[in-house]
Order: sequence, then C-alpha cells, then structure tokens
Amino acid sequence: MADRKDQLWNPYVSGALAGLLSVASVAFAGKYLGASTTFVRAAGYVEKAFGPERVAQMAYFMKEAPKIDWQFMFVIGIFIGALAAALLSGTFSLRFVPDMWRGRFGPGIGKRGVAAFVGGIVAMIGARLADG
Amino acid sequence: MSHDMIMGLVTGIVFGVLLQRAGVIRYDKQLAALRLRDMTILKFMLSTICVAMIGTYLLVDLGMAKLSIKPTILGGVVIGGALFGVGWAIFGYCPGTAMGALGEGRLDTVFGLAGMLVGAGIYAEIYPLMKNTVLTWGDYGKITIPQVLGVNHWIVIAVFVAGTLALFRWFEKKGL
Repeated sequence: MADRKDQLWNPYVSGALAGLLSVASVAFAGKYLGASTTFVRAAGYVEKAFGPERVAQMAYFMKEAPKIDWQFMFVIGIFIGALAAALLSGTFSLRFVPDMWRGRFGPGIGKRGVAAFVGGIVAMIGARLADG
Repeated sequence: MSHDMIMGLVTGIVFGVLLQRAGVIRYDKQLAALRLRDMTILKFMLSTICVAMIGTYLLVDLGMAKLSIKPTILGGVVIGGALFGVGWAIFGYCPGTAMGALGEGRLDTVFGLAGMLVGAGIYAEIYPLMKNTVLTWGDYGKITIPQVLGVNHWIVIAVFVAGTLALFRWFEKKGL
C-alpha cells in the first residue's frame, strides 16, 4: 500500500537542515536535541498520580524530576510538526500495522501491538542505561 | 509558557516537519535500514551529525556554547546500546520518531509509546541497582575523542566528515 503522494524530501538535505536546527538550538536556547529523558519525566507524572510520596523518594525521579521543560515541549513539537507536514502533503493516513510488518507477520493488530509494547519497554531501558 | 518551553516547541515542530517530509519516521524505512536494504535513515542521521558537529564546535571555539558531554561508561553504553537496538528493531521507532510517526497516523506507536513509559518506570525502579553495578563498569568519565587521541578536534571532524562522504558515495553507487 504506497502513499498517494510519496514525494519525499532528499535525506541529505533534510538531515543537513536538522543539523543546522540543532546548531541553532544550541546557539539560541543552549539546548542539545534529545527526547528520551522526557519519557522518564512523563512516567514520573503518571506514577505521581498513584503514589506521590514514593516518587519523591526515588533516586531516578529526583535526578530527572517530573516537570514540563524544554525537552518535553520539543517532543510534543515533533508530534505537531509531523502531523502538520503529513496533513499538508496529503500523506496522513491512519493505520495500525506498518506495510513491512504486514508482509511478514500479517495484518493482526494484537500481534503488532504486543511487539510494539515489548519493543518499547526494551528500547527505553536500553536508552536510559546508555544515558541516551 | 516559559521562553525555554516555547523554544522547545518551535524546535520540535521544525524537526517534526523535517522527519516527516524525509520519510525517516516510517517503520518501513527504519527496518529497511536495519536490514541493510535502504540507507535513507543513515543518510539523514549522518548528514545531521556532520553539520551539527561542525556548527557546534564552531560555536564552542567562538566561546558561544559549551559541550554537553555524557560520561563514557562502557557497561551502560554497551549493554544499554544492545538493548536499545533490540527494542528499536522490534518496535520499529525510536523515542523521538515514535511521536512523529503518531503524528502521521501510525497508531501502532501508541502501544510502543506506552511500552516506553513502562520501560522508563522500570528503569527508575532498577536505577539504584544499575548505579552500583553496570554503571560502574568501565567508567572513563567525561571524555572526548580529540582529548583521548590528543589531537585538535578539527582533525577528528575532518576525518569523520571525509569517511561519511565516502560512505554516502558507496550508498549511491550501490543504490541503497
């Protein structure tokens, strides 16, 4: 199932522009691009709703306190930017199962959902362990 | 919203547009890179790294920015990197691109984003244990490649950029 208007931007040019964006961010905001700490802060928010005392005592949530900061907004911005670009370019389409996954494992949403969930857990533990 | 938060939002929006228009937030593109079939992701990433490397070190040399160096801890980087690779291949998106992929309508990311929140929660639980074990293995502190080699950073940058350009040429020759 190919996208209707599949005219993608050149990856070298887009990547170089992302590099300039990173430099501009360091120059004007003093911030290096990153996303995964935000997942810790967000997890802290969720856990705070259930046991605020416990979260307040956990070393990792003391190090990465649950708060909305530059990076939290950066991650939300990625969503908004991709949504806008997809809608404007006519490439927005709701789908549960990626094409390559469907070709190998079939169209089942359950199977894909479980794999995505487990993959997400493992990837985030790894990212945090490597401090990335 | 604070100035910081607005800057973050604007930077994220521009980044999201670039990721979406280059197609690099697609599961199929990410998996195709891991299967060595289509190097779009690597072309994008390495272009970003080269430009950011040159620009950031220019800022540092001009005294306009400070490097943010993470400590090199082999235990954390090797084990964490391997786990990240496995998880990334199964999920098919990394933390930042998953949010972009959700933006273009890829609903499988909802499961993966939930998994990432759970993974962050699990890591917060095991952090005290990791801090006393894995994160003490091979801790070299905050080091950089130029520092370790004892050469000027522009030499390292020139070699890296030249190597990247050679790789790009090879990708194009092979039609990857």
